[in-house]
Amino acid sequence: MRKSTPYLLLVPALLFTVFVVVYPLVQNLINSVCDVSMIRGGKGWIGLRNYELVFKDTVFWLAFRNTAVYAVVGTVVALVVGLGFALLLNLKVGRINSIAAFLFTIPWVISPVVAGFAWKWILNDRFGIVNHWLASAGLVQIGTSWLGDPQTALVCVMLARIWQFYPFAMVMFLAGLQAIPQEQYEAAAVDGATMIRRFFYITIPNLKSVSSVLLVLGVIWSFNDFNMVFVMTRGGPMNASMVLPVLVRELTFVHFDLGRGSALSIIIFVMLVSLSYLYLRMVSEKDAA
Amino acid sequence: MRQTLFLVLLLSISLLSCGKKSDGIELKDWNFGGRPQLIEFLRARVISFEKTHPGIRVEQSDKSWNMIREILYADFSAGAGPDVMNTHANFAAEFGEAGYYYPINKFPDFEQVKSWYVPHVMESTRYKDDYYGLPASAIAFVLCCNKELFDKEGIAPPKTWSQFREAARRLTKDADGDGVADQFGLVLMGGDKGGFAYRMIPFFFKAGANVMSEDLTKIEFNSPRGIAALKLIADMYQVDHSITPGFLAYTHSEINDLFCSNKVAMSIEGPWFRGMVNDKSPGKDMYVVPVPVPDDMLAQYDTAPTLQDMIMYSINARSKHVNESWELIKYLRNQEADMYWITQDLGATATTQKALASKEAQGVRDIQLYVNELNHARPWPPHPSMIAIASNVFTPYCQKAVVGEMTPKAALDQAAREAQDIVDGKK
Repeated sequence: MRKSTPYLLLVPALLFTVFVVVYPLVQNLINSVCDVSMIRGGKGWIGLRNYELVFKDTVFWLAFRNTAVYAVVGTVVALVVGLGFALLLNLKVGRINSIAAFLFTIPWVISPVVAGFAWKWILNDRFGIVNHWLASAGLVQIGTSWLGDPQTALVCVMLARIWQFYPFAMVMFLAGLQAIPQEQYEAAAVDGATMIRRFFYITIPNLKSVSSVLLVLGVIWSFNDFNMVFVMTRGGPMNASMVLPVLVRELTFVHFDLGRGSALSIIIFVMLVSLSYLYLRMVSEKDAA
Repeated sequence: MRQTLFLVLLLSISLLSCGKKSDGIELKDWNFGGRPQLIEFLRARVISFEKTHPGIRVEQSDKSWNMIREILYADFSAGAGPDVMNTHANFAAEFGEAGYYYPINKFPDFEQVKSWYVPHVMESTRYKDDYYGLPASAIAFVLCCNKELFDKEGIAPPKTWSQFREAARRLTKDADGDGVADQFGLVLMGGDKGGFAYRMIPFFFKAGANVMSEDLTKIEFNSPRGIAALKLIADMYQVDHSITPGFLAYTHSEINDLFCSNKVAMSIEGPWFRGMVNDKSPGKDMYVVPVPVPDDMLAQYDTAPTLQDMIMYSINARSKHVNESWELIKYLRNQEADMYWITQDLGATATTQKALASKEAQGVRDIQLYVNELNHARPWPPHPSMIAIASNVFTPYCQKAVVGEMTPKAALDQAAREAQDIVDGKK
């Protein structure tokens, strides 16, 4: 084998990466400092004007706040739910375990678009099952519009996101639980530790690294989530559930302002890279440990 | 190693040479949306075109209507895209301004072809001095009234705003007797920003308000007439409670379900609505009437403009075969082809004078109303940023006024300021 052969074999993969990752990224960066409108054409280099316009836009700050809430609160709640189900599955009560594990995992394998439409109908004000149940229990009136109310729209989308993400957390936590040495529990039991103390002093510390990784991954994925929000509310009503990925779409494909759309994409990219760096550091620390 | 690389190269070249070879001209025709029977019809029409035009082959593709702008902009800006496509007529401004559409008035027989169409409708394909498409199907926004509910209440479809408000009030009731209103006078499409704007503007137009000045330099929807139109809807929601409370989440499907299940009595729709309702609830009937006018304009009930929307067939300015594309769109949209819009319910109105005057057209329900409305209707102003203004400025502020977060005047003034910034290129 000639010395150059390995490098030659790497060329297709490198070319692919350049065209699919590097080129769009660089082009996006260039667009973000230029006036690029698909309608007006554009005036070329304008420095940081697009970033200035994005930061001055009140909808950006609303979308930023919504995205942060959607990503952080949504992920934390999904982790708590996932941990709860993982603890139940870890009880190993026989054949029902595998059936329950299968059922609990279903939301994870459903396409976000399909899940979004399903939730939209579940939460429908007149025909949705949620209102039907709650009205039967006398808690709300039929006609309560969960997705049409600016106060509840984001919470509902978050609920759907939690429903979709918790199975992944559950599977990861279950793996983590099964890796905890039984001797620790046995020793604690001998010392007279209650179930709650064992949970807080053995289970939780042993799941710390899994939780951290899940938290960062969940926040990254939710931060980038476009499908669920777009299908369920399109960022409405009146921008109440607007999140950053949907705002990128609005700027780029409704206003056709590629410059501002690119600037916002770069801002999101920087945020996600920071989170990814955090994730990689956690993984490497875990590996080192 | 060298042998292996040589073999890989040889294989790649062989694979590349296996592509389809075309002896004549190949046109790409992208069809956005449409009912299944229309898609079948267009396929048959293209096969017929290929037979009558030897040497031209047409490759048809069906695309999503919902992604039409994204798909076309992405392709056009990359210098690609189809030779021929059907799009919104208001894209004439955006794509005409951007130089993506071929001005069809350059063809020598254009004047003759233009005479096929209802003049008012043909004008909607014009931007500045050029025409950018042949009309495919036209839509006038009207008021659809649930016949069952209106007959049960013993009231006629409204003509004026007072009658409209009163009808909505009377048709809002607790139908199942549980103490909570479950039937409403009016439904609005609040979950689709574009759809909402399309349902508000007919009230503005009927009241005599403009969206923009004639020269497309000034936003005018915040005129007193425009504010009055928005106040009408806001009062119906906040004072009369005759609009469905959850309208901000509704799209087409929710409105259809509510109408079919007698939960709402009125909706601002177009010629597609009867077919859509009957697909879900066969035999369900409705009154189709013009959008009501302000009380002092009753005399202009039949002539005040509503909103017109239209689909047209256009040619890509970068097509290598513009002449052949022209032949294709003429064939797809000539008077003979247009008869299909008369004989089938395609959710829109035919656009050629011959088809509309045909004997068959006389038997089509509501067609006289739609033709009359189309003869007076106005499209959105042909400004390249109109869709962005309608969806992201006009709609959110109107919705804030309807639900009471802002007064109609404050909402429209603020919307006008932001829209003006877009028009002036400041935003």
